[in-house]
Amino acid sequence: MVRSNEFGVRRKRLRTQHFELRTKFMLWQQLANGIAIGSVYALISLGLTMVYGILRILHVAHAGIYALGAYVGLLSFRLVGNFWLSLIVGMAGAAVAGYIVERFLYMPLLHLPRIAPLIVSIGLFTAMEEAFRIVAGPHTLAYNARVGLGDLSIGSFHLTETQILILFVTFAVLIFLWAFLTKTRTGLAMRACAQDPETTSSFGVNVSRIIAINFLIGSAMAGAAGVLIGVYDNQVWPTMGSIPAYKALAIVVLGGLGNIPGTVLASIVVGLAETFFIGVLAIPFPRDAVAFVAMILVLMFKPYGLLGKA
Amino acid sequence: MKCRGFLFSIFVFSILSLTALAYGQDIPVGFFAPITGPAAADGASAKNAVELGLKEVNDAGGISGKKINLIIYDDRMNPQEAVAIANKLIEKDKVIGVVSGSYSAPTRVTAPIFQKAGIPMVAGYAVHPDVTWDPREKKPNDFCFRNGFLGEIEGAAAAQFAVKNLKAKKVSLIFMDNDFGRAISSGFADRAEKLGAKVLTKQMYKFPGEKDFRPYLTRIKEGNPDLIFAAGYYNEAASIVRQAKELGVTSKIMGEEGFDSPKFLEIAGPAAEGVVIATNLDRDDPRPLVQNFLKNYRKAYNEDADMVGASSYDAFMILVNAIKKAGTDPKAIQKALLETKDYNGLTGKISRFVQGEVVKPVQIQVVKGGKFHRLGVVDNPEIITPPTKQ
Repeated sequence: MVRSNEFGVRRKRLRTQHFELRTKFMLWQQLANGIAIGSVYALISLGLTMVYGILRILHVAHAGIYALGAYVGLLSFRLVGNFWLSLIVGMAGAAVAGYIVERFLYMPLLHLPRIAPLIVSIGLFTAMEEAFRIVAGPHTLAYNARVGLGDLSIGSFHLTETQILILFVTFAVLIFLWAFLTKTRTGLAMRACAQDPETTSSFGVNVSRIIAINFLIGSAMAGAAGVLIGVYDNQVWPTMGSIPAYKALAIVVLGGLGNIPGTVLASIVVGLAETFFIGVLAIPFPRDAVAFVAMILVLMFKPYGLLGKA
Repeated sequence: MKCRGFLFSIFVFSILSLTALAYGQDIPVGFFAPITGPAAADGASAKNAVELGLKEVNDAGGISGKKINLIIYDDRMNPQEAVAIANKLIEKDKVIGVVSGSYSAPTRVTAPIFQKAGIPMVAGYAVHPDVTWDPREKKPNDFCFRNGFLGEIEGAAAAQFAVKNLKAKKVSLIFMDNDFGRAISSGFADRAEKLGAKVLTKQMYKFPGEKDFRPYLTRIKEGNPDLIFAAGYYNEAASIVRQAKELGVTSKIMGEEGFDSPKFLEIAGPAAEGVVIATNLDRDDPRPLVQNFLKNYRKAYNEDADMVGASSYDAFMILVNAIKKAGTDPKAIQKALLETKDYNGLTGKISRFVQGEVVKPVQIQVVKGGKFHRLGVVDNPEIITPPTKQ
């Protein structure tokens, strides 16, 4: 009688321990889920914040460039069958598209009030979504790529192959961006342009070349985000840019308009907040509202964003 | 000038008389489906299947010598569009009956319009209760019939199978935030709890738009249920089963008719193996009606038929059958539909309609070798008979 009771207590304790261990793993898992999606947000938002920093344009069509990157990547993947090549082609395709948008749409409008390029941008974004639908069809397409990295499992914690991929690519891109902006003369010129284009120009810097490079880099990052989401969700569809179009805007404001480290921080915060709202707190709160609520909360106390300066 | 005007009027007259002639001979039947827009894959399935049925009927000589003239509209899954279509079908096309190959939102807004006009409508797979029920007048839309299951009934049937046959004791629910998702999951949860299973978590996700189910699935994994009941359409379904597999979730996954699409199998890939669904089509049904349909569909469209196609085909054939019995008067057709008894349908034997709701067994299918196959049937009358509303 006594013995069986002892056993019962011990079994119960074991079970509790097991459950706690499980919960611990789950928190790590949610952390990985949140950082992964946040990293993708960062890749999308960085281009947007860079464009705003230098031209003061809200580049809504950036989300169209993101979807274009996914489609171009998917096309090259279906033709060649190599994921890494398709990632590079997707980034290149997006970069070229971004450059064309800058040269032929924004440049001729820069002398007008900033509402003009904004309207053009929204129109272009809608047109791009329709173009994807007409060219590639209304259906969701599978991006069934084998990346060749393998999963990382510790107990019931799984860092999936695509999560590793996202973390790896985002990390590489951020290192590149940091080195470019702080260690090269072009990077220095770009930061100078963001502060004061006219003065920078008077120092003999070719501002229009700097703006073009800015668009090339920002769009390539959006293209990378498109390809990564395509593989992460295994889906590419015509309106895949519509949610990032406004979510990235909220993230950019949250991070402090034009502020690059702030945008990265804000992206990770939003990714984690979404994941923890859903998966840990289990609050039935619409996911896509999290970024805006976070934006409002932060702006109430820090009107220039997380890392923005007055 | 005068001569040209005369010639033109002759031309117009001849066109008019030709159309009049054509209308005089044919039986006009209306059809609408989301042929473009977010549900385009389902719209195409519905249209393809109904056109297959149309060809069969007309090739066999039509109905007492008259051919059926199917008037097809695209509602783009948009309720406003569907209202315009319903009015057009009634006033311009003068149809005597309508088949809905569309989702709940477009179908339910057309129901009161057809009801008021006294034109019978048979809905293929729209699940919302208000298709057959007028919530304001608190009486059935007695001109509207449904060939698909109510969400609650399909959910209850799924729960019955999950608990009794798959022996699930702990279940977790994940479902989309729309009428269908809420109805089917509440049907599932109620029945599962009644049968003694424990519902660990219920999570609702945003629809449309959710793609990243990892936070939900990670939470489900924590509870380690025997079975996950997931509700969604093929895109969400594919994401859920794939991401569950990636995260090492070992619980059995059970879905519903939204999973029943070749697109689900394509996007989910090998992760779909072993997924069980409750649906409205049994591919392994030996009846020639079913096997011929599957064969002919494959031959005509080079693609496997799905639940949406089969249900829309059935809805069309139920209407045709009533026209055969009753002639072309809408009121008589409605009476024939009300009197439907033991009808041998593609998606199962329909014993009757209760307030427009179909009474027939729910099919349980499993994905094996990249295809749907029969796993079981839930025909317990207590579950599949829709409750009579007051």
